[in-house]
Amino acid sequence: MDTDSSTPTESGLSCARCGKPAYLQCPKCVELKLPQEGSTFCTQDCFKISWSSHKLVHPKSKLANVRSAHSEQSLDGWLYCLKNGQARTSKLPHFGWTGALRPCPISKRRLVPDGVEKPDWSIDGIPKTELNSDLQNIVEIKTPEQIELMRETCRIAREVLDAAACIIRPGITTDEIDEVVHQATIAAGGYPSPLNYHFFPKSCCTSVNEVICHGIPDARKLKDGDIVNVDVTVYYKGVHGDLNETFFVGEVDEASQQLVRCTYECLEKAISIVKPGVRYREVGEVISRHATMSGFSVVKSYCGHGIGELFHCTPNIPHYGRNKAVGIMKAGQTFTIEPMINAGVWRDRLWPDGWTAVTADGKRSAQFEHTLLVTETGVEVLTARVPSSPDVFPWLKLNHP
Amino acid sequence: MENDDDAPPLAVRIGKEPESNPPERSYRSQNVQRGTSEESPVGVTVITGYLGAGKSTLVNYILNAQHGKKIAVILNEFGEEIGVERAMINEGEGGALVEEWVELANGCVCCTVKHSLVQALEQLVQRKERLDHILLETTGLADPAPLASVLWLDDQLESEITLDSIITVVDAKNLQRQLEEHLKSSFFPEAFLQIAFADVVILNKVDLVLQEGYGLDTSSILEELEKKIYDINSLATVIHSVRCQVDLCKILDRQAYGAKNIAHLEKLLEDSKSTFSRSRHDNTLRTLCIYEEQPVDLDMVRSWLEDLLWEKKSNMDVYRCKGVLNVLNSDQLHTLQAVREIYEIVPARKWHQGKKQMSKIVFIGHNLDISILADSFRSCTVLT
Repeated sequence: MDTDSSTPTESGLSCARCGKPAYLQCPKCVELKLPQEGSTFCTQDCFKISWSSHKLVHPKSKLANVRSAHSEQSLDGWLYCLKNGQARTSKLPHFGWTGALRPCPISKRRLVPDGVEKPDWSIDGIPKTELNSDLQNIVEIKTPEQIELMRETCRIAREVLDAAACIIRPGITTDEIDEVVHQATIAAGGYPSPLNYHFFPKSCCTSVNEVICHGIPDARKLKDGDIVNVDVTVYYKGVHGDLNETFFVGEVDEASQQLVRCTYECLEKAISIVKPGVRYREVGEVISRHATMSGFSVVKSYCGHGIGELFHCTPNIPHYGRNKAVGIMKAGQTFTIEPMINAGVWRDRLWPDGWTAVTADGKRSAQFEHTLLVTETGVEVLTARVPSSPDVFPWLKLNHP
Repeated sequence: MENDDDAPPLAVRIGKEPESNPPERSYRSQNVQRGTSEESPVGVTVITGYLGAGKSTLVNYILNAQHGKKIAVILNEFGEEIGVERAMINEGEGGALVEEWVELANGCVCCTVKHSLVQALEQLVQRKERLDHILLETTGLADPAPLASVLWLDDQLESEITLDSIITVVDAKNLQRQLEEHLKSSFFPEAFLQIAFADVVILNKVDLVLQEGYGLDTSSILEELEKKIYDINSLATVIHSVRCQVDLCKILDRQAYGAKNIAHLEKLLEDSKSTFSRSRHDNTLRTLCIYEEQPVDLDMVRSWLEDLLWEKKSNMDVYRCKGVLNVLNSDQLHTLQAVREIYEIVPARKWHQGKKQMSKIVFIGHNLDISILADSFRSCTVLT
């Protein structure tokens, strides 16, 4: 199914039915000014065949593409995100889209109850404490008390992600995933760290197909065959816990399955070398070696990071080889490793919203992330799967009990 | 209600999409690929120096000189951190200065490998059809090290920009006094740090020194100043100037941070042979050089360097480090380069026939102890 648009049309659009370059659009969609996503076709034939399902996107009134069984939300007031989240617009922005995916309007900001302890950016978007902290220069050695706090917060983050995993299916919007993450987080007494972090408008990142990371939950419905990464960070009792996983939506093609599995293995292999005395630089070597051997590429613009009382701090851990990362792992240090692996080229581009990173060639990208603690003898995966974690990764059934 | 009958309507031709970037100043929503003719990255030269030393003069001189290069100048107020929000782009092309205020990408700094300054410079390069060089003029930047670290990118990133060199402009008339400030306070004045991290030191306003004779031999005053500069940083190239009128070939395209510019590196290392620290325990900021003829084990050298740079072994504070290594079991000359904690050792080229193979490393720092450095480095040799 993965017919990639290696020779895209001028507009970069693909046929919603067969994936070939698209030259025609549904006239109703044009008239109603609906997003081009899903309304473009290569020929009248493909359009005709798709008509009975396609016409369902034409709303009866001005309302949503989204019909949720659970909420009465309309798309009134839903707008496209711009300027890192500081602005909104009612029109789809202009951009040289690299793949088939397009942004959709996003919902209004979700509220966090008063009782929940919030980080400083929840008010004005700027993580002042983080930007000015000494922990941007020195890697913190956590005390036993801090470690215990991190264990608890990471466990909550794991449960929140698991809750999101349970609702993944075709027809669900990424906004609905965000709602689940948001509700689960505040129910546990935590704050969803991404919310308003540098103005990020939502409570988690949802990255579909060619989106590498930092995708913004919006009105787009997941389609059968998509892959989607959900990145959750919870702030609880003064510390952050950060993890992400890439999920399959319905039946996914072989190539995407291999990509996702390889990415999982990259993280697994990287974790296996973590112990005191190992250079942070090595992580990139391990990941890059495995990805390259499998015919994939490693995203270079984003890296793993220190975490604790701050969301992001030193060390910076690149996922590519031959990097100049500074530092040697010591017991008590906590950080994330979060490789992003691409089916095609490693380069990324940024959408007009200022957040969404996509592959430069429009091919798919997968990611996995854990928060880790270096112990005296090795590593403890603070955000590890638990027995109740949903069984969504086929390869785990084979290798692990 | 809508007439969504069973027969599908006729699909329409998709309209030509408008230009992907409307003429706004913002750098976001960029999709323009750099011309394929430009394969090598654009060099970035950082210009530091005291207020009044002549930085602006230098910049204007570079922009206006008839060199046929398209050069962009970014003026920056650095304050405490390298937070870039606005910068003025000033391109000189055949004398016509085009000024524009540009809002640089205020991107998320979280978990990104490239600092927002780097992303902004890359977008600048992508935006212009042809850019030969970028000058980053800094004000209020006491310590160039963080800026150098940010700009010294991994080759793997294949960035459109590369750190070319750090140039500091010093005022020959006031330098003596500026360096002596150190004796009155416990920390090093800007002048020391700026010289320590410079690849080129422009000793400007030499004419003003010549003017104020006071009956002293003015050329020996300049010699004395040069010696003071070399004492701090023996790797720097010192250029005398009047009103910053310098030979552009000497300051642009120096490739001070690449492995490729070996000849330049070797020459510097040869010249610095004569600079030796006389006292063992020296708490000034100065240059030291060590030598070793026996080949060294590369893994041991890495650990040794990390001890120095990351663990601050023996309380020594290394600011910069440059060298050539004679590596065991390799016919390749390896180069070593370090700025604060960031270092890189890469194989550069085969040793030339007949040339004596040896390791030479120059350190610029504070509290350096030459015997500790030399002895600990020697322990990286493997005695057969």
